[in-house]
Amino acid sequence: MPVEVILPKVDMDMSHGTLSAWHVAEGELVRQGAALFDIETDKAAMEVESPATGYLHHVTAKEGDRIAVGAVIGWLYAEGEEVGPAPAAAAPAPAEEPAAKPAETVSAPAEIAAPVAQTDKIRATPAARKAAREGGIALASLTGSGPRGRIQGSDVAQALAVYRQPAASVAEWSPQPGPLAVSTRGGEGVPLVMIHGFTADSQSWMPLEKAMGRARPLIRIDLPGHGKSPRRRIASFADLARMLVEAFDDATRAHDQVHLLGHSLGGALALAIADIRARKLTSLSLIAPAGLGPEVDAEALTGIIRASRAESLAPWLRRLTASPDTITDDYARAAMATRRDPELRAAQADMAQSLFADSTQCFDLRPALARLETPAAILWGREDRILPARHALAAGSECAIHRVEGAGHIPQYECPEPVARILARHLAGAEATAG
Amino acid sequence: MTTREISYSEAIREAMAIALDSDPAVILMGEDIGTYGGAFQVTLDLIDRYGPERVMDTPISELGGAGVAVGAALTGLKPIFEFQFSDFAALAMEQIVNQAAKLRYMLGGEASVPVVFRMPAGSGTGAAAQHSQSLEAWFGHVPGLKVVQPSTPEDAKGLLLAALADPDPVLIFEHKLLYKMKGPVPEGAYTTPIGKARIARAGRDVTIVAGAIMLHRALEAAEKLAAEGIDAEVIDLRSIRPIDHETILASVRRTGRLMVVYEGVKSYGVGAEISAMVAESDAFDYLEAPILRLGGAEAPIPYNPDLERVAVPQTDGIEAAARSLVRGEV
Repeated sequence: MPVEVILPKVDMDMSHGTLSAWHVAEGELVRQGAALFDIETDKAAMEVESPATGYLHHVTAKEGDRIAVGAVIGWLYAEGEEVGPAPAAAAPAPAEEPAAKPAETVSAPAEIAAPVAQTDKIRATPAARKAAREGGIALASLTGSGPRGRIQGSDVAQALAVYRQPAASVAEWSPQPGPLAVSTRGGEGVPLVMIHGFTADSQSWMPLEKAMGRARPLIRIDLPGHGKSPRRRIASFADLARMLVEAFDDATRAHDQVHLLGHSLGGALALAIADIRARKLTSLSLIAPAGLGPEVDAEALTGIIRASRAESLAPWLRRLTASPDTITDDYARAAMATRRDPELRAAQADMAQSLFADSTQCFDLRPALARLETPAAILWGREDRILPARHALAAGSECAIHRVEGAGHIPQYECPEPVARILARHLAGAEATAG
Repeated sequence: MTTREISYSEAIREAMAIALDSDPAVILMGEDIGTYGGAFQVTLDLIDRYGPERVMDTPISELGGAGVAVGAALTGLKPIFEFQFSDFAALAMEQIVNQAAKLRYMLGGEASVPVVFRMPAGSGTGAAAQHSQSLEAWFGHVPGLKVVQPSTPEDAKGLLLAALADPDPVLIFEHKLLYKMKGPVPEGAYTTPIGKARIARAGRDVTIVAGAIMLHRALEAAEKLAAEGIDAEVIDLRSIRPIDHETILASVRRTGRLMVVYEGVKSYGVGAEISAMVAESDAFDYLEAPILRLGGAEAPIPYNPDLERVAVPQTDGIEAAARSLVRGEV
C-alpha cells in the first residue's frame, strides 16, 4: 500500500498551510525522515519530513498552494510497488477539526499500532510531561522524536539543555509557577485590555491612563518575566502567544466585548489574539506593533536587558524616545529599580534570544493583519528608532494609521495626550459601529 | 546450605517430604497421587514412604476432594491438595472461593483454613482447551486467597514450604512445562516469601514482568536483545496475590518502559492488574512509552501444536515487542 503524504498540523490554531517548496520531485526516491516539503503558516515556516521511504507520486499540490490541514498532497510508493491511478485518501480529516495523520509505523505489532487520535492535545509521554512541568517548559513548543511525533522525556531534556546553556554574562534563572499577572481598574463601559511591550510592564501605561481619564474599565496583562508575572520559558512567539491568549481568556471571561490595545511586542501579541478572538473584540489598537517586518534595533534591546545600573540603562532608554530629554536620570533610576532582579533580566535575555534571534523579528503577523476584520488603528511615532514605522504600511485599507508627531517608540509615554485622543476617537467609533 | 541441581517436580516432592517429616499435621490429597504417583508424577513414591493415611487418593470429584481438604484444614490439619489439572478447579470453586477464602472472615478470625492447592497449569503439552489454561488471575481476584506461581525449582520448593507455613489458603500454580526443568535448589527447609517478586535480570531500558514459563522466555529474549545493546530488566513476579508493588514500580521508575508477559488470556488478566497499578502510581510519571501486555490469545488453547504455540507469547514475540518498545516505535 502506498503511504499518504499529508499536510500536518504544526500549530494549535492552524487550519491551513501554504506549501512553500517541495524538496523531492515527482517520481523521485525519498527516505523516511528526510525533508519532503516546506510549509508556511501564519506564525512559522517549517520543514516536513517524509513519513516513509518511497517514490513520490500523485502530487496534487504545487508550490504556493494553500492547503487544508490533513489534506493528502501525494503518495509514497515502495520500491517495485505498482503505481496505478491515485488512491483514495484512506480517512479524510473532518473539516471542522482537521489534524495531522502521519502513516502508522509499519514495524509496530498490529495490536499496538493504535490509530492516530484526532485531537488538539499534545502527544507526549508521562515522563516528558513530568520533565516539562518541572523544567517550566511548554510542551507545545517542542517537536517530538517519538512515534507519531510523540514528545519523549529525552526531547524535553534536550530542549532544557539548550535553554540552560549559559549565555555570556547571563545569570541562571528558574521558571516560576502561576498565571500571568493581571491588574484591573474599574469603570463604566466596554473594558480596554492592555498589553505592554518587551522589557516594560503594566506600570508603563500610567501616563496614558492619566491622559485618558477615568472612564472605561482597564485590564492590564503583564508579559511573562515582566512586571508581576511569573518567569517562564519561551521557546517561540507562538509559545508566548498561547500564554497570552490563555491570560486574555481568563481576564475577559466576565465581559462579552472588550477593546484590545498592545504596544510593540504587546502589539504583535494583541494582533495574534485578535486573529483568533475576533468576536470578542470591539476594537484593536496597536502602538508601534512588532511582527510586521524583520527589522528591529536589537542593540537597544540587548542594552536594556543587560543594564545592571541606571547609568548603563539610561542611554538605551533614550533610544526609545524622539527627544532624549524625555528620559531623565530619575526616570532611568526608577526603571532600573524594577529591573534589579538578575533572574528577571536573564529570563528576558532568553526571551529576546527566542523572539529576536540574530537581530531579527522571528515572527510575522502580517498575514494576521491582512485577515483582520476588527476595527483597527495603528499608532506609530514618527521618530521610532526601535521598529521602523514603515512596517505600518502592511495594514489593509480599513485600518487607520496615525503617525504621532514628536514621538519615538513609546508615544504613549512621550506624547500621551494625542495618543489618548486618538484612542478615544477610535474606541468610540468602533463602539458606535458595533452598536 | 548445600545446593544441587534437581528438577522442579523433584523440588516440589522434596518440599512435601520435608513437610511430612517435620509436621504430622501435613497430609497429601488428590486424584491418583498415591500408587499412580500423580498425573505429572510429582508425588511419585511418597505413598511408599509415608503410607496411604498421609498420602490419600481421592475419588474423581474435585468438589468433594477440595471440600474434604478444606474441612480437614479447619480441624487443624495442613492438607496439600493436588488438582490433576488446574482447569478442574472450576469444579471446586465453591470450596475454594466461597469456603476456604471466606471462612476466617465469616468466623471472625476464630478459625483459619491452612490448605494448599497445587495447580498444574499452562499450555504446551498438547493437552487441548480443557487441560491447558492459565487461570491464576481468576483466583487473584479473591481476597482471602494467596496465589503464587514459582518459576524455578528453588522457588517451587520455597514457596510450597511458605504456603504450608501460611495460616490461609494458598494456591500454587505450577507450569507443566517446568516440571522437568532443572535448577539449583538448596537442601533442607527454607521458605521463599509470598508476595515478593525477584529481579531475575537487572537492566535499564525496559521492565519485563513475567512468571512461570514466561519468565524463561523473557530471559531468553533479554539475552538476545542484549546482543543488540538493549538492556532489559526481567522481573520474576512469583506472587500474584499479594502482588509486589514496590519491586515493579521501582523498576519502572528506572527503565521508563513496561511490558507484562503472561500466558493467561490477555484481557482482564495479570497484565491488566500490573498495568493499572503502574498507571495509578507515581511511576506513571516515568513512562516513556505506552505499557504493553503480551498475553494469551482471546481463544481456547488449540489442540493443533502449531496453533497452540502461537496462542501464547513465545520468545521471538517477546523479543520483537521489547525491541519496538525500547526503540521508540510504539
